[in-house]
Amino acid sequence: MDLLLEILLTKTFLFDAFGVIGLGLLGLAAVRLSQRYQSWGGSLLSSGALLLLLGRLMALLRPQIFTPGLQDALGRSMSDVLLLAPTALMTMGLAGIVWGLWGHEQWLREER
Amino acid sequence: MTFTPCVPLLATINAMRPVFMIVMGAFLLLTIWRMTRGTHGWTPKVLMAGAILLAFGYSVVLPLYHADVLPKLSQVGFFSPNSDVAMGWHIVKLVAMNGGWMLFGLGLAMHAGIFETEKSPAPVESPSTSPFHGPAA
Repeated sequence: MDLLLEILLTKTFLFDAFGVIGLGLLGLAAVRLSQRYQSWGGSLLSSGALLLLLGRLMALLRPQIFTPGLQDALGRSMSDVLLLAPTALMTMGLAGIVWGLWGHEQWLREER
Repeated sequence: MTFTPCVPLLATINAMRPVFMIVMGAFLLLTIWRMTRGTHGWTPKVLMAGAILLAFGYSVVLPLYHADVLPKLSQVGFFSPNSDVAMGWHIVKLVAMNGGWMLFGLGLAMHAGIFETEKSPAPVESPSTSPFHGPAA
């Protein structure tokens, strides 16, 4: 297989960067919506985007940071919490984003 | 063959997560469709493209991965001879999730006016009264 394609697909850095940039843009846009237009869905949307971004970054960085040495140093329960945290964060973030988007849609409907 | 309803299985978080993702993906698409209905331009197109990709990723691809219907690339192995199916779905997942968030974030940023400068509150003189920039007379 072509080397460039192989790097793109196995390391997935470029795709992950796209996802993280998109989430950052989403958070920025949500902050702007809640600050400038006083849309209540915007603040919920921004917190959801923040949670999702945090969870995504944790999931992406886990292979680098979460080494067996750290796992031993932290102990069983703490490392379990750290392992489960990205999933919980991403679940809450997705819920926040969808709820905030719904709220923003309701706000748009009232404004029109 | 017993066919008992497995309520304890449904009540666990692991079993509820795909259901949650399917519902969220569908609701996201529905909300974006309601938001962009009757509008024109590039913003609703980008938003809708991102929402369709995300809905496909969240309600089709990720639950299928969760149910072990689709083979995971990390388990099959990248260099194994029968990694074609796993590789194809891996690419589909990467494009749907990451491209979906990228397009969705870009669309919402365009909707919120991130790329536009706010109008300056300073008073702007009209050109006809300006002695420097007025028509030569």
